[in-house]
Order: sequence, then structure tokens, then C-alpha cells
Amino acid sequence: MNNLRTYQLGLGIAGAVLMLLVPYLFPVMYIHLAVEILIYALFAVSFNLLFGYSGLLPFGHAAFFGAGAYVAALIFKNFPGMSLLLTLLITPLFCAGIAAVIGFFCIRLKGAYFALISLAFQMFLYAVAMKWRSVTYGDDGMTFNRPDLHLPILGTVSMGSIQNVYYLSLAIVAIGVLACYLFLKTPLGNSVVCVRERDIRASFLGYNVFLTRYIAFLVSGILAGLAGGLFALFVGFVNTACIDINMSMSVVLMTVIGGTGHFLGPILGTAFYVVFQDWISSLTKHWWILMGTFFIVVVLYLQGGLISLVSIKKIRLLVSRWSKEDGNHIENR
Amino acid sequence: MDLPIGIYLMQATHGLVYGMLLFLVASGLTLVLGMMGVLNIAHAAFYMLGAYFAYSVTLHLGSFWLSLLISPAIVGALSILAERFLLRKTYKGGHQLQLLLTFGLFFILGELVRVIWGTAPLTVPVPKLLAGDISLLGMTYPVYRFFILGFSFLILLGIALILSQTRIGIIIRAAVSDADMVDALGTNLPLVFAGVFGGGAILAALAGVVAAPFLSVHSGMGLDALMDCFVIIVVGGFGSLWGAFLASLMIGELNSFGILWVPRLAIVFQFLLMAVVLIARPSGLFGEKE
Repeated sequence: MNNLRTYQLGLGIAGAVLMLLVPYLFPVMYIHLAVEILIYALFAVSFNLLFGYSGLLPFGHAAFFGAGAYVAALIFKNFPGMSLLLTLLITPLFCAGIAAVIGFFCIRLKGAYFALISLAFQMFLYAVAMKWRSVTYGDDGMTFNRPDLHLPILGTVSMGSIQNVYYLSLAIVAIGVLACYLFLKTPLGNSVVCVRERDIRASFLGYNVFLTRYIAFLVSGILAGLAGGLFALFVGFVNTACIDINMSMSVVLMTVIGGTGHFLGPILGTAFYVVFQDWISSLTKHWWILMGTFFIVVVLYLQGGLISLVSIKKIRLLVSRWSKEDGNHIENR
Repeated sequence: MDLPIGIYLMQATHGLVYGMLLFLVASGLTLVLGMMGVLNIAHAAFYMLGAYFAYSVTLHLGSFWLSLLISPAIVGALSILAERFLLRKTYKGGHQLQLLLTFGLFFILGELVRVIWGTAPLTVPVPKLLAGDISLLGMTYPVYRFFILGFSFLILLGIALILSQTRIGIIIRAAVSDADMVDALGTNLPLVFAGVFGGGAILAALAGVVAAPFLSVHSGMGLDALMDCFVIIVVGGFGSLWGAFLASLMIGELNSFGILWVPRLAIVFQFLLMAVVLIARPSGLFGEKE
């Protein structure tokens, strides 16, 4: 067991170092891809908090991502002097408010009903973004200048350089993903899974099913909104594309392709999705069909997602092969 | 309001026409949902495909009436293939798998439509026999809409007769209320299900064909129909055909009068109706209590 821990720790540290070194190792184009992966990874993790852990499948999760992007963009545009970190704090809080309202209606429902009513709310917000032209500029979208980041010790950090955007995104996404991970480790996080498994039994045991789901929904909305705010900062432009049904669909694809059964599944799926999309969209305009077909193959034949190909059991098996004396002990466990 | 009464009558008829179209789409959806618990999201794409095939057939063969035969036949065949080779694999895997699969199918079909027919809205000419207007209380009203009304009432009558009078209908109704029991009594349930699935798709495609000259044919019509049908199923109740019928007419009228009174936010009315029903009667107007 010790050996496994060591390998996991080593893998984690290697990954962290690699992520810190990305701006030095890769050309600018790939840094853009890396930022995209980071932001969508946070979005997908928030989605999987609902789908994988709460057992609720939202088809309109872009509602929160888009709301976050719009709120951040409106602040960047109308209050250019506001501190960037404050904006990135207000944005998720605003999304928590939206999630509180939407969740109140959605959470009572399950399965297909939940999936489609969340899509209905997303369509509603999309219609607002589209029609409320005086504020959102409709489908023309709005551009704004990225504000600089003012930090106490480092001084002013310009968001004009993609390297700095990368590091800021890395820091915030790491905080968001870690927060989600730690939330799931708390007793409350465990009760989310418990409610997913058998809600009636959970309520007999004294858990408040509605409240547990509601809190998971709020946390998910907050994280998705944070990802949306980062997205606005990264792109420097926001239009209805970030709140439309294709965005909702992409997060479903990323998460399911990666695998919903493991915390890291959505992150792997996002990396795969973004890289694959970048590669294939240079070959054909209709890459979406290929991605959709791949998604259907995964749904039908690989329900654990890509992460199940590198499952912990296989890693254990590998580790046990590397160190024979500990191997027997692990396999007999 | 100083609008003449004719406008109200016209909007009411318009709502009725749209509601009947929605019912054609929603009826198949609600039967499949009631029988197998599968909410087939791709169903709305069948409706869209019906309209696009109608466009192509009318364009190349020059006959709208031919498209009324060919388009549902193609869509029906496609749907049965999709049921047999894709959906059937997921019945053991739970509802979320089916949702994911049909959602994926919905998107792929939407994208295929954009690849084949382009993104610009297309128009299908009204057949010559039904061109022209009827004047009604000082307003003129297109004949074609009365055709849609009559046509969908005929279909409704047909469904009602099949469900209430034939042996197949009895089996379908029994399967909606208890699929396992019907299976245990020796009926070939997968076959019945494939039949209902294909029949529902044909109805959706028929709705698409008759809608094509009435509404414009565009790649967003699948999503519009999906949202409307979803509201219909929530309001009407799980697997209830009469609930779906009433809810369709309600949604049609709400849409029509919403556009008259608050043009920009007509969509809100449907959501309000849905929210009220969900809070007051979560199982829908005609649904059985869970």
C-alpha cells in the first residue's frame, strides 16, 4: 500500500510540476489550449458533482457557465476599475443566487424531468441574453479590456500576456477543483452520494434529501459560474455562444467521455475533448458529428469512460508487478 | 384592447393549428415514455427530419403529397434502425444512459441536417390545391391551416380508434400501465415497443411534413419542438395521451396569444404554466400519482 501511495504522490507532483512549466515548454498556441482545458475542466468537474455524485443529469448546465461569463463580462465592461479577484468572487456568488432559484424548481424532479427542466431554464437564460440587447448586446456579444491583476507582493500582473492568464487560471481552477474534492470528502459530501444511491432509505435514516441535493446543486452552480467568469477573462469577448445548448452539450460530452465514476474522469475527458477538437476541426468543419459519434460509442460500449481504461485496479496491478514482495499483499487485500 | 374580435379568433385558430401539430409530435413521445420509461430526446429530431425530407421531396419530385408518403417512411425506417441497433442496447443500463444516447443522437441528427441542407431557413410552397384564403369575420385566413387542422384531427381519430378498438391497441395500453406484466403474459414486448417507437417517429415526421409549408424549415425547429413537447408531457402527465392532447392545445394557445400580447417574452408563459403544474400537481394533469 505504501508503494502505491508513493507512486500516486510522485505522479501528482510530476503532474503539478508539468502544469507549472507549461508556459515554458510549449509555444503560445498550446498555452491557449491549456487554458481552455483548465477552464472547461472546472466546468466539467462541477457538472460531474451533479451527474456523477448526485445522480442528477442536467442538460442545461451552461446556464451557470454562461451566467458567470456574462456577469464577469458586464463587470469588466462597465466597471473597469474593479479588482479582478473581487470580480471573480462576485461572479460565483451571483451564480449561486441563480442556482438557488433554478434549483428550487429542479431539485424536486429526477431523471429525464430534471434533465429537461434544467435545459428549459438554460434556454430561458439564453433567450434573456439574446433579447436583452441594451445590456447583453444580443448575439453580437460584447468585447472588453482584460483588467490587470493587483497582488499585494507581486504588484501589478498584466492579463495581456497569455502566460499570466494561464497561471491565474491554474491557481483558480486548482482552488475550485480542490474545493469540490474536499466538499465530497466531508460528511455532507458523503451524504450526497448516499442520497444518490437510495433517496428513500436516506430519508429514513434522517438525511434531508431535498436539502442535500440542493446544496450539491448550489456548489455545482458556483463552480460552473467561476469557470464562466474565467472564460470571459480568457477570451476577452462574450456572446450567446457561452450560454447556448451546444455549451451544455459539450460539458456532457467531456464528462461522459472522460468517465463519471472517478473524480479525475471529467478532467481527463476535457483534455481529450479540447485536444481532439483542436486537431479534428483543422481537418473538417463538421467535427461535431465525429465527436458525437465517439460519444455514442462511449455511452454504448465504454460506460466507465476513458478513465476506466486507466483505473486504479490496473495501476495497482502495475505497481504490484513492479514490486513483487508488496504485490501479493495488495492483491490479497 | 381595441383589437377586433377577428384577431382573437385568428390567433385562437392559429394556436389550435400549432397545438394539433405539437400533439402529433408529443403523442409518440408520451406513449414511448409511458411504456418503457424512455424519454426519447431524438424524437424531436424526427420531426425536424420529416420537415427537411418534405423540402427535398417537394423540390425534386415536385409534389407535396408524395412527400407526405415518402418522408414519414424514411424517418420511420431510420427510427426503427436507431431503436434496434442503438437504444435497445441501453435498456438494461438505466434511464440516464438512454437520456445520454438520445441526446447525443438529437445533436448528431441536428448537425447532419446542417451539413446536408445548410443553415439557412428553407421554405416549402403550399400545395396548389390548398393555396388561397378563406375570409372569416372580416379576416382572411389561409386554407392550408384548416387542412392541418383537419388532417391532425383525422390522425388523432385514427390513434384513438387503434388504441381503443384493436388488439394491438389493448396491448399498447396494457404495456403503458405495466410493461413487465405484459411481457410475462407472453407478448413479444420488444416487437411492440419497436412498433410504437417507429409509429411515434412516423407521426412526428408527418407533423414535420405538414408543418413545413406552415412554419419555416430551419435547424432550430427540433429544439423548439423538444422544449414544447417536454412542457406538454410535464403538464399532461406521464404517458397520458389525453393529457398530452389537452396540454398541446394549451401550449398552442398560450404560444399564439403570448405572441399577440407580449411578443418578446412569449416563452415565459409556457414556463409559468409548467412551474404552476409542477408545484400544484407534480404528476401532471392526467398523470397517475407516483
